[in-house]
Amino acid sequence: MIDVQPTMDDNQVMDFVSRGSVVLEGVVSGEFNGQCEALAGGRINEFACTPGFRNEVLLHPKVAGVARSLLGRNFFIPVTAHHHLYEEAHPGQTWHSDGLSEYGYGVNHLQCYYYPQDVTLEDGPTMVLPGSHHRLVDREAIAHYGDILGQVSLTVPAGTVVLTHYGIWHKAGPKLNAKRRGMIKFSYFRNSPPKRDWLIESEEIPPYANRERHPYVTEVESYRDLACRQRTWNWLCGVDITPEVSHGAKLFINARPLSEIANI
Amino acid sequence: MEMTVKEWLDESRKKLQAGNFTEADLQRLEGLLTKPRQMVLYLYSKSTNMRSAIAGWTWYDPTVSYEPTLPSQDAPYDSVIEAVNDGWRIVQFPRAELYQFSDVDNTYLGYEFILEKSISDR
Repeated sequence: MIDVQPTMDDNQVMDFVSRGSVVLEGVVSGEFNGQCEALAGGRINEFACTPGFRNEVLLHPKVAGVARSLLGRNFFIPVTAHHHLYEEAHPGQTWHSDGLSEYGYGVNHLQCYYYPQDVTLEDGPTMVLPGSHHRLVDREAIAHYGDILGQVSLTVPAGTVVLTHYGIWHKAGPKLNAKRRGMIKFSYFRNSPPKRDWLIESEEIPPYANRERHPYVTEVESYRDLACRQRTWNWLCGVDITPEVSHGAKLFINARPLSEIANI
Repeated sequence: MEMTVKEWLDESRKKLQAGNFTEADLQRLEGLLTKPRQMVLYLYSKSTNMRSAIAGWTWYDPTVSYEPTLPSQDAPYDSVIEAVNDGWRIVQFPRAELYQFSDVDNTYLGYEFILEKSISDR
């Protein structure tokens, strides 16, 4: 089986629990980024299964290391991907989460964005709202939202991979130019029960150390966020005593366990 | 109170007789005859109190074309009451009893004030 080592420690896992994303800037090689320059938009399942994409992106030690940290051993590796390609100016998408909410306290699905080229603010960067993965909403009922305090435009250098909690609110930001802006989206899935087997210094499980309140969050919401973060932390550590509350179905598990990946 | 066309006519006749009718008066008439359109502003307040800080905002202006504009982190107003002071009228107040309240999970951005401004010339 391919050996993927976790790369995150307690502190970084707690950050993920609060923010719902991890940004790995410029981790994919320039050479491979260049190979994506001619890639057409739309479904790219064949490309997702090439040794190049698998080794340079999916199994990149830093990228897969985050997946291993948050999803445990023998997690599912995607065999599908979608290339979101914009080549003209546009007003941007509306805020949404993908598919069904997959809302819950657990972390079972990481949706990832890979950018083969630099993305500036004028290029229509993906925007995410940190902490929104803990909000259960009808995705069509947030489409009228505009600017939100604390929103993040993912202006990143080429080769960046962003791993997100599936439920995070996101959108393609407004694009002011006709420069090519591509983003390859793919997902990792959990395949083993949660356990604190990322990088640890001691077997003793620390209590969740709360993070700052996100700027858009109200007073009472911040208390609910804290309770939710504590539950997620305990769940990830495998000590959660309450059943995971999960809403919505996982519709798109197109993936294979890491242990089988060499045979595909 | 905005002038009516009848009032404009009465005033303009006097101006014509006095010889001080100008292009500005015609522009004023044009404004009066233009059909007013509704500009909408959503403000997400951090509580039902109109003096609370703003968490998010959206403009809908039917008089301008839908063009890409860069995102912003500067709220147009510090509070709902400040927007009202700038001429916006509230058409929907957040009603507490309509909010689903579980005290466990967060959901939509709250509290949604919807405001309007009528514009007849641009």
